[in-house]
Amino acid sequence: MPITTTRRRLLAGSAAALALPAFARAQGAVKPRLTAISQWSAGSDGAAITALGKKFEEKGGVWQHSPVPGFTTEMMNKLRAQIIAGDPPACSQLKGPEIAAWSKIAPTVDLDAVVAAAGYEKVVAPDLAKLHKPGGKWIALPLQIYSTNMLFLSKRALDKAKADKPPVTWADFNALAEKMKANGVTFPVANGGTRADDGQKFEASLAGISPAVYRSAIMNLDKKALEAPEIKAAFAQMRKLTEWMDPNVGAQPYATNLKRFIDGDSGMLIMGGWAQGVLKNAGFKLDDFIIAPGPSDNGKPVFLLNADAFIFWQRKEADLQAGQMLMAQLVMDPAIQTMYSQITGSIPVRTDVDLSGEGWSDGQRTTAAALKNAMGNNQAVLSLAHNMAQENGLTAAMIDVFTEYAKNKTIKPEEAVTRLTEAVEGSR
Amino acid sequence: MSNAAAVATGRPATTEMVRRLPEYLMIWVPLLLSAAHLISFSIWTIWISFTPSTLVPVTGWVGLRNYNAVLASRNWQIAFDNLLLFGIAFVLLSLVTGLLLAILLDQRIRGENVLRTIFLYPLAVSFVVTGTVWSWLLNPGIGIEKLVHDLGWTNFHFDWLVNRDMAIWTIVIAAIWQSSGFAMALFLAGLRSVDTDIVRAAQIDGAGPFRTYTRVILPTLWPITITVVVVQLQFAISAFDLVRALTNGGPGIATQLPALVVYDLMFQRSQLGRGAAAAVLMLLILLAVLLPYAAWRYVRRRQAAHA
Repeated sequence: MPITTTRRRLLAGSAAALALPAFARAQGAVKPRLTAISQWSAGSDGAAITALGKKFEEKGGVWQHSPVPGFTTEMMNKLRAQIIAGDPPACSQLKGPEIAAWSKIAPTVDLDAVVAAAGYEKVVAPDLAKLHKPGGKWIALPLQIYSTNMLFLSKRALDKAKADKPPVTWADFNALAEKMKANGVTFPVANGGTRADDGQKFEASLAGISPAVYRSAIMNLDKKALEAPEIKAAFAQMRKLTEWMDPNVGAQPYATNLKRFIDGDSGMLIMGGWAQGVLKNAGFKLDDFIIAPGPSDNGKPVFLLNADAFIFWQRKEADLQAGQMLMAQLVMDPAIQTMYSQITGSIPVRTDVDLSGEGWSDGQRTTAAALKNAMGNNQAVLSLAHNMAQENGLTAAMIDVFTEYAKNKTIKPEEAVTRLTEAVEGSR
Repeated sequence: MSNAAAVATGRPATTEMVRRLPEYLMIWVPLLLSAAHLISFSIWTIWISFTPSTLVPVTGWVGLRNYNAVLASRNWQIAFDNLLLFGIAFVLLSLVTGLLLAILLDQRIRGENVLRTIFLYPLAVSFVVTGTVWSWLLNPGIGIEKLVHDLGWTNFHFDWLVNRDMAIWTIVIAAIWQSSGFAMALFLAGLRSVDTDIVRAAQIDGAGPFRTYTRVILPTLWPITITVVVVQLQFAISAFDLVRALTNGGPGIATQLPALVVYDLMFQRSQLGRGAAAAVLMLLILLAVLLPYAAWRYVRRRQAAHA
């Protein structure tokens, strides 16, 4: 009998916890606990989430994180298995349109109250916010932002080409690449050969040529936009990139050849901001390279958004519910976002965090400024190659086209346009 | 009543049963369990392939829609063509290599045990390891091509791994390296079991070593050959880890194989229904190999019984 009473009290406590801001006092009845899964197990990602867990424990919580190392899909397989078994984690990593897709297969937590209490919506990019409130209610919270089209320039390659300014438009970029090639930079474009790499080459090309067409064709799958001349132009630009790349890379990730990039044997790397952390981890100095926004033909930065997020799954246990509320508050906290981004090299989701202080790099400041600028000009779009623009099935079908195009130089741009529209039709 | 009868007539049989109980348990329990797993999961997969399942299994009926979508996709078409090429080339070449190694080892040479171990050793290595090692060896920038360039032959070209048209052959090479030792071991056992009297008779009749092999010894090996072919074919059809480690279906999607397509659809694209349809298609291909083999064995056993 006493047990029942306690449980009833716990349930009452959790109901009170939902009714913010009375939460903090009601919490006394139960110790918040959080079961979480993510793919972040090692490197700067692992360090960042471990630090977040420490903060959670400092606030009196019990932190139970089970990392699933490897690709995101492996984490998803574990999540799927747990959901089917009726035992989802209180919170899991998930991003982009997958949040909406997965929220249909299991009930999620309504975070509207806690988000409103934190005044969070005002400081999040609107396109990003939309992804995390698929049914109009917040069910997931973005954690950190990367841009997938940052331009990394090797100082030594720039010296060889006697250039000192990062290119602004694709025409500038192409001219600089030619100059590098003529002055002994073996491969003006540094690259990897994974599917995501090939996808990034296309999205950076198209978004740089026309963010508006990118939005309607890639994000909204508008049939007319998919056949627009800008798409063909993007494939043509991508072909130029592949001509400047090392064909021997095969399916290696970009990180394999970073030394050649620093040595000036390859010149320019189009990659997400995370490459800064990888370069730093590999022992290279920040003044070995420059970070600039990716080429944009209208001269204003285009930001290809990639954001990691946590989704919250409904649980009956009072301690897990309290843990979810605590976690939500932590994830939105500017101090926590600062701590997290400074470890991983990303930028905070909140647009009101000041990056001028110590602990931030020039690259991060450039990225944050680019995001602000791009949002002001409606040029912040969602990355396809990193699963932000479409669900996995559609993304994979489109990336098939890009990766074949990158590796098969006999495919003409107009042929690629047809294949892209066919791929979109075929998987809808 | 039946107990009494059993006690009256079958006491030795009962003790025999009890004595052999551990054996029955050892064989039948795992056998039934794995058969139940195999059959129930196959049926489940077949059922899923007719449903509109995406992220998680759902009920519903979409007829052949998943099959049509898979068959019409470029990925599957490329995978199927690759399977034909890879299956035939790999089986034939590993057969020839294995047989050649076996014949050479059969010449009563010194150090046979060491050599046999060396040739068999790749079989003990995981396919992922084989794939990774070969992906380094075959990479033009760091592997064999670079070695030969550094030795001075700068005209040498061996870029199959990153060449769309030739990449599938790198998988053939790695697969042969891995499993021709298996064919060799079976053939060697076959060669050793050939009746020495027949060989001697052939020699007395004046047949040279070549004719002895082609006319007398090799014809006795054909049951082993069929076993090797079937085992290798089912490996070829279900090849996954080797390809994933070596080329991961690339460059582009040039080295897709059916198992990769199934994994991709189910776990990367979250299209369970289509993935299940592709898996059922793979099962059908496998049956096309295994059913004739089973029929052949059945016929042979009956012939043996009648003879």
